[in-house]
Amino acid sequence: MEYFSLILPSLLRGTVISIELFVATLIFALPLGLPIALGENSKVAPVRWFCKGFVYVFRGTPLMLQLFFFYFFFPIYLNIRWNAFPVAVLTFVLNYSAYFAEIYRGGIKSIGAGQYEAAHSLGLSKWQTFKDVVLPQMTRIVIPPVSNEVITLVKDTALASCIALADLMRVAQSTVNRDGTLTAYIIAAGIYLIFTAIATVVLGKMEDRYSKYEEVA
Amino acid sequence: MALLEMKHIVKEYPNCKALNDVSLSVEPGETVAIIGPSGSGKSTLLRCVNCLVRITSGEIELDGKIFASSNPESMVGDRKGAQIADKSGNTEAQYLPEKQLKEAVCETGMVFQHFNLFPHMTCLENITYAPIKVKGIDRAKAVSRGEELLALVGLSAKRDEYPGRLSGGQKQRIAIARALAMDPDVMLFDEPTSALDPEITGEVLSVMRQLSDANTTMIVVTHEMGFAKEVADRVIFMNEGRIVEEGTPKEIFEAPKSVRLKEFLGAMLKA
Repeated sequence: MEYFSLILPSLLRGTVISIELFVATLIFALPLGLPIALGENSKVAPVRWFCKGFVYVFRGTPLMLQLFFFYFFFPIYLNIRWNAFPVAVLTFVLNYSAYFAEIYRGGIKSIGAGQYEAAHSLGLSKWQTFKDVVLPQMTRIVIPPVSNEVITLVKDTALASCIALADLMRVAQSTVNRDGTLTAYIIAAGIYLIFTAIATVVLGKMEDRYSKYEEVA
Repeated sequence: MALLEMKHIVKEYPNCKALNDVSLSVEPGETVAIIGPSGSGKSTLLRCVNCLVRITSGEIELDGKIFASSNPESMVGDRKGAQIADKSGNTEAQYLPEKQLKEAVCETGMVFQHFNLFPHMTCLENITYAPIKVKGIDRAKAVSRGEELLALVGLSAKRDEYPGRLSGGQKQRIAIARALAMDPDVMLFDEPTSALDPEITGEVLSVMRQLSDANTTMIVVTHEMGFAKEVADRVIFMNEGRIVEEGTPKEIFEAPKSVRLKEFLGAMLKA
């Protein structure tokens, strides 16, 4: 018990960093996925290629490789020193926006031609059609797959420990190395579980809110 | 003067001719029923009226304004009629620029086979969205007009329900109200009862009959021969992208001239 209270404060400091990374990633990646998804469907070929290429690269390579790449890219090629945290945020945002873009693209695709025809017949502009017809329906459709990614992100934040970010994983690992007992891992696991439980509840609430208009079977 | 004048409409797809020289003129207040086997081009013709389908050649005039023409002697806005080829080799008639075309589209109201209501909006929101956002009508006015229309289609009680909670017939009546809310000059019905259970087509048809009696200009693509017979002022029979025969319901149903129409009516009666 004494040991527990001894290591808990440092684990909690690591947790705060993990949460910061988690929140920052979502704040930027959730909206950034949308223009990428639209770009993938763009009529302008270079835009389409760029967005498809972006998604291909960031979904097709390991997140850990991307972390290392950006961690060393700035000091080696641009001669700029970046701390681990901004590098982690940048990498996670790019990586996750690629995943979100694919989810959004699927959501947009699943909206039937009839909705566009109705919007056309009522004289809606392209922007009105997107904002008031497509986007709200897409949002409902993508909540379950986005939730899935969000839960994965909770755990993926641990990867940032590989570039020496002092997140929960890193703190737990060094504590275990130092003290030779697994207690820190167990506490960290508990914290991750609390974290995912909260995320699950919040996302479930959002799903309920957006499904109020669903067909009743 | 005719409200809608379609002249020599041709619609070509890469491997078929959906419409082959179709001319149709509709007077104000008239109810025109278009019948014919599937694939005969009836829906395509209807969709040309609100530009969901863009014509290859021909001319469409709505309310005295030509919005599409391939005839160089006609003026489409301030441009001459023409046939224009795009990069992928498809040709289409000269159309009005986007903004003016939108105005023409807003003079038509379309009712679809599968309703196409906006599922995330309540019934009232479905009806008032376009008047408010497209026509810029004051919200309070649009809402009171929306309530009138809900009463007209007999669904005042569903004002704040989402379409997902309605039956097919109710959805279609809301869709009719939504189209009417834009005060269109002509109402277009694309097989409005084909997706409904037979026992509830009546509630939709009775709303349509009401509109027809109130001298709404209507073009109805339908498989409901009873409706065409009783409500339409004129019936048009299409086959293979052409108008084969047209006339009063009496002429079409009681004294069909062409073999194809006789066959079609025979098959419809058996069904």
